Amino acid sequence: MADFDITSKSMDGIASHGTKVGLARVLGPAHVWALGVGIVLVGEYMGWNFAVGKGGAYAALIACWFAGILYSCVAMIDSEVTSTVAAAGGQYTQAKHIVGPLMAFNVGLYLVFAYTMLEAGNAITLGYLISVAADMTGATQALDQRPFIILSIVFLAWLNYRGVLATLTFNLVITAFAFCAILVLFVASAPWSADSPLAHAELMSGQAALPYGWLGVLAAMHFGLWFYLGIEGTTQAAEEVRSPARSLPFGTLAGIMTLLIAATLTWYICVGFLPWEYLGDGVNGAVAPLFSAAQMTGSNALVIILGFGTLFATLASANGCINDASRAWFSMGRDHYLPQWFGAVHPTYRTPYRSIIFLVPIALIFALGAPLDQVITFSILSGLLGYTFMPINIILFRRKWPLDTIKRGYVHPFHPIPALVLLALCSLTYFAVFLGYGTQLIAMVSFYIVVSLWFHFWRYRFVKRADQFTMPWPKPRGY
Amino acid sequence: MWTLIEYGAWALSALFALHMIYDWYRTDTTYSEEVLTSSREGEIEAMTEEHRI
Amino acid sequence: MARYIPPPQSKLGQVIDVIVLLVLSIGALYIPLWMGLAGSAKAPIVVDNPTWESLGQNPTMVERWNQLGFADPASAHDMITARFDYSFTWGAMALMVVVIVGYFALMLRLSEKEYREVIAEKFERR
Repeated sequence: MADFDITSKSMDGIASHGTKVGLARVLGPAHVWALGVGIVLVGEYMGWNFAVGKGGAYAALIACWFAGILYSCVAMIDSEVTSTVAAAGGQYTQAKHIVGPLMAFNVGLYLVFAYTMLEAGNAITLGYLISVAADMTGATQALDQRPFIILSIVFLAWLNYRGVLATLTFNLVITAFAFCAILVLFVASAPWSADSPLAHAELMSGQAALPYGWLGVLAAMHFGLWFYLGIEGTTQAAEEVRSPARSLPFGTLAGIMTLLIAATLTWYICVGFLPWEYLGDGVNGAVAPLFSAAQMTGSNALVIILGFGTLFATLASANGCINDASRAWFSMGRDHYLPQWFGAVHPTYRTPYRSIIFLVPIALIFALGAPLDQVITFSILSGLLGYTFMPINIILFRRKWPLDTIKRGYVHPFHPIPALVLLALCSLTYFAVFLGYGTQLIAMVSFYIVVSLWFHFWRYRFVKRADQFTMPWPKPRGY
Repeated sequence: MWTLIEYGAWALSALFALHMIYDWYRTDTTYSEEVLTSSREGEIEAMTEEHRI
Repeated sequence: MARYIPPPQSKLGQVIDVIVLLVLSIGALYIPLWMGLAGSAKAPIVVDNPTWESLGQNPTMVERWNQLGFADPASAHDMITARFDYSFTWGAMALMVVVIVGYFALMLRLSEKEYREVIAEKFERR
């Protein structure tokens, strides 16, 4: 046992050096589920339908399922690694222990970007939703969406600032509601009865079947990721979960199963109600596809339920994003990868309060200044780079610490097949992004190259070498 | 009515933002930097698992 | 191997580092937007005097368009005929592959170098 004075009044005796202020371990598996699904479920309420525009309805379904395979691999790999690396920062901390500091710095930035952009996208959707509500209740002039965008971001940041338990309990409630709303709409449209309003056969016949051919299916993969983007965020809670080795795999895997169901139902409902050209146009057509589908039913109750479902989904997602982005930023500050000023924990609320505050204006810049599909693309690209890192991560993890050297809370089956499948699907998705957004792809990767050089040759000098390796693991094989 | 709600949203945003900034200022002036940044990674793991025989 | 002691960083240095990072990231995200290079716009393929039939819409689709507030074929024309252009040059694709593979290769190499230092220092002390 490490040497510290267990009778000390000022130190709480956790860890070898003693600690005064750390993050609070208060969360259970349901919170992990709520964090994971809460971030992602908004993808069912908006954004995924760009995939329909990219290749038609069938293409969107194929992309949805292939992306489902991609994310199942992500969830399995993540569960195994994170059940042993239980620290805030998630994939960032994994990369630091398994691949190396520069990779970790990059992964940390992927996380912060993916989540901050997703948060901006949520705020944009929320602003749109409020303006629709204003129109429906008979507002005479066009609504100014800005105060609502700002309010949602600032309010959720405030909630996050005040403590993680309340934040994620709030998420649990609104996520569960949003998920049930999808089920309600599915049941209400009665797909089993003869006079169901769903008309798949007619709406998907002729030119509507595969309007771009098989290339469209490939292109649809780009926005197919949006059905699930963010499920990997569960690992950010690792330092605040009561028993990470059990809760994290459980919450993550339950989350991906929930999402596979929700994604398929969403596709089924929306495609049965709306012509693909309208559904696929997320800017002038169906901004919030499930909400549009509810409007087609002609039932006021459904419109209200799905309206609130959309609202809650955007809030839950933005909330989870603030939580995750600030944890990643905080961890990098704590290790001096970023200025150590960010590594502070609030003594009363036990949250990384400076990181939370710092990320508010950044989210606002993008929420107020960039169009929705661009913001989504930034988010997807950062996510995609992160998924490319995961197969490298798990292969190196198994090589440096084979199964008999560290006890894992969860061991994923069929290694290395999930890693290779994941890598192949990522390559496909790069091509899909390239088809529509090649310039952003190159600009973004160039950015990471420049930042990597900056980190390696400048910033890394402020980092203590051995202290970053905090896990009580044996020496890796081959070093 | 919606104009009023808009003003309300502005006001609430300002309120939440100011509360956060106020608390941030108070915290930073009350506690020393050393206490605030004393969190370390993997603390519980270090206690339960880092024993060597 | 001697233990590496990092130099302390002044407050000003910390602020400058944050600003550098912010400028780089906002630049990377906004420059393609400003230059108008971002994203693929859909262009409508014009059909003269459109009818629902010439737009390839069957009666069910027409009923849905009406319900969505598009009363006649002309109003829905732009949305129905808008198509992405998926043509690309092999040169651009090769550039993408080189940039992405090069990025990961560079990063893994430099990471490995730093990682060996970390492991050496960490496990030497025990």
